[in-house]
Amino acid sequence: MNIQFKKGVLELCVLSLLTKQNRYGYELVNEISKNIEISEGTIYPLLRRLKNEDYVTTYLEESKEGAPRKYYKLTESGKKINDSLKKDWEEFVEKVNHLLEGGDTNE
Amino acid sequence: MNKKNFLEKLEKNLKGLPKEEIKDVLFDFEEHFTIGMQENRTEEELSSSLGDPKVLAKQLKAASYIKIAEESASAGNIVRAVFTSIGLSFFNLIFILPPFIAVIALIASLFACSITITAAGVTGFVSSIFYPAFSNYLTFTVNPATGIFAFLGITALGVLFFIGNIYLSKAIYKVIVRYLKFNLQIIKGRRNQNDL
Repeated sequence: MNIQFKKGVLELCVLSLLTKQNRYGYELVNEISKNIEISEGTIYPLLRRLKNEDYVTTYLEESKEGAPRKYYKLTESGKKINDSLKKDWEEFVEKVNHLLEGGDTNE
Repeated sequence: MNKKNFLEKLEKNLKGLPKEEIKDVLFDFEEHFTIGMQENRTEEELSSSLGDPKVLAKQLKAASYIKIAEESASAGNIVRAVFTSIGLSFFNLIFILPPFIAVIALIASLFACSITITAAGVTGFVSSIFYPAFSNYLTFTVNPATGIFAFLGITALGVLFFIGNIYLSKAIYKVIVRYLKFNLQIIKGRRNQNDL
């Protein structure tokens, strides 16, 4: 589970941003890099992977500024994966917090 | 690096992928630049925060080849996926190549065993049948009739072993694909941390 949290944290961020609303790539990159320092380009390979796995679908929508933008939308299986990754994450954080607070040990 | 250089470098390093996919990837990054510039960011600023197009291209390629290997199983596809993944980091030279070679060697030797057993069975079977004609030259320590059935059994065993190996190879193929996917995620995570 801990390994899953490690590899899934960026994935979880993207999926979770998409649960609230459909977003375009730049917006996702922006939201994430506001909070986590990453090399921004890596979000795009991740998005392609999520699409390959059928966790998201894409569609084009006209924007006020002109050129149409590619929007990402969560699928049903994407929602499920998001829920399970989120649960893993919360459990992990809870355990770490427990340790940090010097919670009971088995000694 | 300006937008043009970035996209050109990306395109150059994506060579080998299906044309449609390259177009799609370039579209995504072009869109990124367009929107970023509408928000008053410069091309240089945008391309430097996107990261090295070479690294991005490698990641995209590995992901794409793994997907192709997953969708249509073939020796060529899996080899390409494995070697593109190895190219992602020096780490993978150690963590992918040796296990991959070991697994291939194992499968090859299992197939060789099954073929040998089948061949031995067939040879024995045929010689048992023709034994009466050559009984002056050949000596069997067992009754030829027993031999016929025993060798028939060995042939069947060899064929079953062979079929079993086919199933085993298919299962191992799937495991390799899963491992590559897992590896891709780990490498990506590591890279993000290193690029800070």
